[in-house]
Amino acid sequence: MNNGRATLLITSVCYVRLAVSEPSVSARFVSDIFGLQRVADQDGEIDFRSDDRFRTVSLGQSSADGASVGIEVWDDAALEEVGRRLRELGFAVNGATASECRRRYVQSALFTEDASGNRLDLVVRPTRSGRRYFPPRDAGIVAFHGVGLRTTDHTRDLAFWHALGAEVSDWVGDIAYLRIDGLHHRIALYPSNRNGLLYAAFEVEALDQIMQNSYFMQESQIRIVQGPGREPASRQMFLHVEGPDGIIFSYVNGMAEIDGKPRLARQFPLAATSLCDWGSESKDIPELRAPGR
Amino acid sequence: MIQLKDVSYVRLGSPDLESAENFATACLGLQIAERGRKDLYLRSDARAHTLCYSEGDPDDQTVGFEVEDEASLQEAAATLEQLGHAVHAGTAQEAERRKVRAFIGFRDPTGNHVELVVRPEHNGRRYFASRDAGITGFSHIGLNSTDPARDERFWTQVCNARVSDRIGDIPLMRVNAIHHTIALVRAPKAGIQHINHQVETSDDVLRSYYFLNERRVPIVFGPGRHPTSGARFLYFRGPDGMIFEYSVGVDEIEDEATHRPRQFGFEPTSFCMWGSKPAGMTLPNS
Repeated sequence: MNNGRATLLITSVCYVRLAVSEPSVSARFVSDIFGLQRVADQDGEIDFRSDDRFRTVSLGQSSADGASVGIEVWDDAALEEVGRRLRELGFAVNGATASECRRRYVQSALFTEDASGNRLDLVVRPTRSGRRYFPPRDAGIVAFHGVGLRTTDHTRDLAFWHALGAEVSDWVGDIAYLRIDGLHHRIALYPSNRNGLLYAAFEVEALDQIMQNSYFMQESQIRIVQGPGREPASRQMFLHVEGPDGIIFSYVNGMAEIDGKPRLARQFPLAATSLCDWGSESKDIPELRAPGR
Repeated sequence: MIQLKDVSYVRLGSPDLESAENFATACLGLQIAERGRKDLYLRSDARAHTLCYSEGDPDDQTVGFEVEDEASLQEAAATLEQLGHAVHAGTAQEAERRKVRAFIGFRDPTGNHVELVVRPEHNGRRYFASRDAGITGFSHIGLNSTDPARDERFWTQVCNARVSDRIGDIPLMRVNAIHHTIALVRAPKAGIQHINHQVETSDDVLRSYYFLNERRVPIVFGPGRHPTSGARFLYFRGPDGMIFEYSVGVDEIEDEATHRPRQFGFEPTSFCMWGSKPAGMTLPNS
């Protein structure tokens, strides 16, 4: 996974910046309902914490600086290497100005887009917080876990992620689960007819919190787009819930760890039983659905 | 004192054995052990049967508990008669129908029909489920009580049950290390309130939730988790209104000598720590 380097190129998915129509309305969902800690409101973005990082979610107006997903890069040398590899493959890579880095709470960054047009910030030294995470309600959130991304060109997008050192853990149809550390996946690419973030996933302590949040959402009349369920490939339990503007936030727990031994990616058919072991189905989100149901 | 070792079986009357069989195999997932002319024997574990439907009145409900040997059985009969309970000594033919060596029948103070049995049959072949519900065995019952305090005294003083925890004045009682084998339930008349089968994992509880929902089996409580025993559970309704439960992860009482029953308030969170609410099933005290 290190592509012959002594250290990894990328180490985590470290934030999502979302462009929404009414940040204050979405902010209420993210804090009061979903349970993240609101920490800052500056430069037109509202920031939320989910763990010891300064922020893992930012909400801004749909505008020029728009949405992006932050990928933490090992160091500046790795950032240079990643930039070189992406340019070689024909992806546009741009440096970030000091103010753009400040807005993202990072020390240095490169901006790029995958083949589908998903904007990715490759960042070095994202800001941590000295105070422990203190959420507004007991949702049991432990950490920001990863993202699901929509892809319109999964061949080119896979080449993009391979260049960053990610590997496919398993396939469900053409859905690719991408591994960047010791866990089954941190990024999942879902074939779609458009680009964009499909979901942002937050790890909770245990099944208890998945289920408690499920009943909490039902009582709060928040739409559950899928779950409670369990992905057969990764063994991860999930609950996908929908906030304003159709953004999907997920509670997850129990993902399989993968040791360093060489391992072939397994192919699962694109069927309901490959997407959920328990039997949950998504009625309205095409990317989370298997055809024929 | 009557030493109960474990719960052994439940016998239920039913006017429609065919529906009972359909439910038991297609929904609940038990294995058919034997179809008699008027009896349907069902397996859930290594025992020859743990549930028996007999053609008859659905109000005829019996729970069987295993005792050590025939001497214990005679002793139990004497104890019960002394306390004024009418004791029926099972005939050889009746014992054969129950697949036990010997048994006696009596009614508890509420009027529940209880049988004490000796040497219930096991089966040499392993249990093979009719559907993959993950059942590992019949484990406990909810038992109606018209006066929980009186019945707690019967089960704990005449018999060897110990209270593991209480919700309001409802005791959850064990006869071995498992957190509870008898859960008393306040009700206007005698009867079995629910029949519990353990499953392998919490995955099985959730899978059955979606599976039974799709088959329009009424889910009456759950998926949820009991804060008392720690078990993840699902309650659903079967033939003749009987409630069945799947659960997993029931605590064991590790130190019999020092365990003190905890008191939980009579409120929904004492029954489910996840937030599920009973639907079509009354909570034990109401």
